[in-house]
Amino acid sequence: MSSAKGLATRKSPYLFILPAFAILVGVLVLPVFSGIRLGFFEWALRDIGKDPEFVGLRNFMDIFRSENFHTSIRVTLIFTFSVVVLELFIGTVLALLLEKGVPGLRFFRTIFILPVMIAPVVVGVVWKFMYNPSYGKINYFLQVLGIEPVGWLSDPQMALISIIITDVWQWTPFVFLLILAGLQGVPQELNDASKVDGANYLQTLVHIKLPCLSNVIAVTAVLRLIDAFRGLVVMLIMTNGGPGVSTEILSLHLYKTAFTDQRLGKASAIAVVLLMIITLLSIFFITRSMKDEEL
Amino acid sequence: MMKKILMILMVLLAVCAVTFAQGQKAEAEVKESVEGFDWRQFEGETIVTCFPNHVTYNALMPLIPEFEAKTGIKVEVDLLQYLKMHDKQVLEMSKPSGDYDLISMVVMWKTEYATAGMLRPLEPYFENPNLAYPDYDFDDLVPAYVENTGYVGGDKIYLGGEGATLYGVPFGAETSIMIYRQDIFDEYNIKVPDTYDELMAAAKFITEEVPGVYGFTSRGASGHQAMAGYLLHASPFGASVFDENWEPAFNSPKAIAALEWMKEMFKYGPPGMTSFGQDGQFQAFLQGDAAIYLDASVFAGKARDPQQSTVYDKLGYAMHPLKESRLSESGGFGLGIPANASNPEAAFLFMQWMTSKEVERKVIENGGAPFRMSSVSDPALQAKYPDFAVLAKQLPHVNPDWRPLIPEWGEINNMLGIAVNQVLTGEKQPQQAMDEMVAPVREIMVRAGYIK
Repeated sequence: MSSAKGLATRKSPYLFILPAFAILVGVLVLPVFSGIRLGFFEWALRDIGKDPEFVGLRNFMDIFRSENFHTSIRVTLIFTFSVVVLELFIGTVLALLLEKGVPGLRFFRTIFILPVMIAPVVVGVVWKFMYNPSYGKINYFLQVLGIEPVGWLSDPQMALISIIITDVWQWTPFVFLLILAGLQGVPQELNDASKVDGANYLQTLVHIKLPCLSNVIAVTAVLRLIDAFRGLVVMLIMTNGGPGVSTEILSLHLYKTAFTDQRLGKASAIAVVLLMIITLLSIFFITRSMKDEEL
Repeated sequence: MMKKILMILMVLLAVCAVTFAQGQKAEAEVKESVEGFDWRQFEGETIVTCFPNHVTYNALMPLIPEFEAKTGIKVEVDLLQYLKMHDKQVLEMSKPSGDYDLISMVVMWKTEYATAGMLRPLEPYFENPNLAYPDYDFDDLVPAYVENTGYVGGDKIYLGGEGATLYGVPFGAETSIMIYRQDIFDEYNIKVPDTYDELMAAAKFITEEVPGVYGFTSRGASGHQAMAGYLLHASPFGASVFDENWEPAFNSPKAIAALEWMKEMFKYGPPGMTSFGQDGQFQAFLQGDAAIYLDASVFAGKARDPQQSTVYDKLGYAMHPLKESRLSESGGFGLGIPANASNPEAAFLFMQWMTSKEVERKVIENGGAPFRMSSVSDPALQAKYPDFAVLAKQLPHVNPDWRPLIPEWGEINNMLGIAVNQVLTGEKQPQQAMDEMVAPVREIMVRAGYIK
């Protein structure tokens, strides 16, 4: 009797998480596996009614040999690391500046959060107009200052920088808000204690505030990292990957492989690679921030 | 009191309704007897069409209620950005029963659709006396447009000739002509370019001498747009994407010469042309920033529209300039009926009505592009639309084999278009860029079974 009851108690937690688990398997695990499986097949979008043809590792060999894929990886890494570093830096500086009761803080916060709330499609269209070499605002102001017009989106050297500027503009406020919330969580006693010990602002910042913020910064970095890897819409609208393939980040390369080239199998293979990169990076950051916690 | 007023109102309403209904009926009867063709045989059916947001289709939109009144068929239009139509159409047409009864397809897709069995052959419909409108005059449709938008299965799979089947009729089809700023050419006494060399000279002169105006406007964005811009020059230069045996020919001396010419020409365009899609290209001309346009003829409708164009009254038109030939673009849109359409007969009636002589004239009036020889060569219309005279001269030079319309073209188009863009931005040299594309393009052709 007692052993039966023990079994029931031991089993019941599993019973409770079963529905959630089933949903998770249905909407997350199965699609991921079928996506991975499709990576081993050749399936053109136009043959959508027919059965895919098994081709083994050909899709993976195709993408690793393709120059555009290599460029795409490089573009993705440059883009992601630039935006994450810039956004974290600017966001943290802004948060530190506005941490103290600056007059009109609420007003600033509201203004700052606006870009985050704009749909990426709109951001893409608006910035595309602003970057327009002939009638865009940015070149107009440069001209007023006597600077030669810049081919923001048409020059292969500039296009990625232009897109990084746009992303920093849109997502720095998000970082700013998270860091600001983190700063407000720093215990006041620590600040007071450091003041009593005669620490100046820089010392307080380096030895008290930043260490307390490290977890928030790590989580923010992971969120932005994953987002930046998946980012697609803004590039799709502003440059469609051009000039050449200079702004074709991995997710856009994937999209084009699926819908322009119509090769769903190859696109799945790219998706698998993308998934692996993001997983590895996430694990790296998450374990790092966990370790800090244990210390 | 209240009751009385109500009664009077109701009687009035009833009288109105009866009179109105009779009027409509009488009108319908008159039409039927005049035309001797039963337009109302599918009364009450609803057809769904997939159309692009495109000048000629936009010109048709306000006319659709006329068709609905004439036939009693209801028309629903799914209006999409033209490159976005493809995925949705494939999805609909691969279902057992799709939502679309009539689709507009970019010519690039016709072979893919037809060989996959997604479209209905149209000959049986045109041969059916109950369905074929007697005054339609099929032979009056511009022959090159019909070959380009409609036939699959003939020469090189995607052209007319022996074994070809008709899957589409042109609507929104186009070729390329030159549109230029008459005022600038007059003021500076520039000769209207008749050859590619003269075109380059004129563009250079305008960029250097005319303040605030660049010589030429083109599309150049990476991928499809840059490739379309390049193909415009490839045909007159005698270059093609593949040779007779499906081997890559886009790195041949002639092809490279065309690309070199295009690269040179980009010096005389507005800044940022390497990121221009069609819209950027159009705007540069419409806003008066560029003096010469050489691309799809449908642009004439926009250019002469005072609502959209700041230069509507300063236009001149000329034929596609001469190099080895004047072979001009064949492209744009055709209409097809999906194999899984629910109301194919009603859709066929709509297709005929849209492309009939009477409706074509109204579409032209609304800014759409002509697609019948009778309208292009009509002196009255030529007087009203000066581009028609040029178009009439250009149409015999249309190259139906302007680009390979094979199912694999989407992928090849994108790859070559990236390479062309890299040449235009100076990232790569023409010969190098095109040589590098041979292996990957060959691989696609081998995989698809065209070559070994």
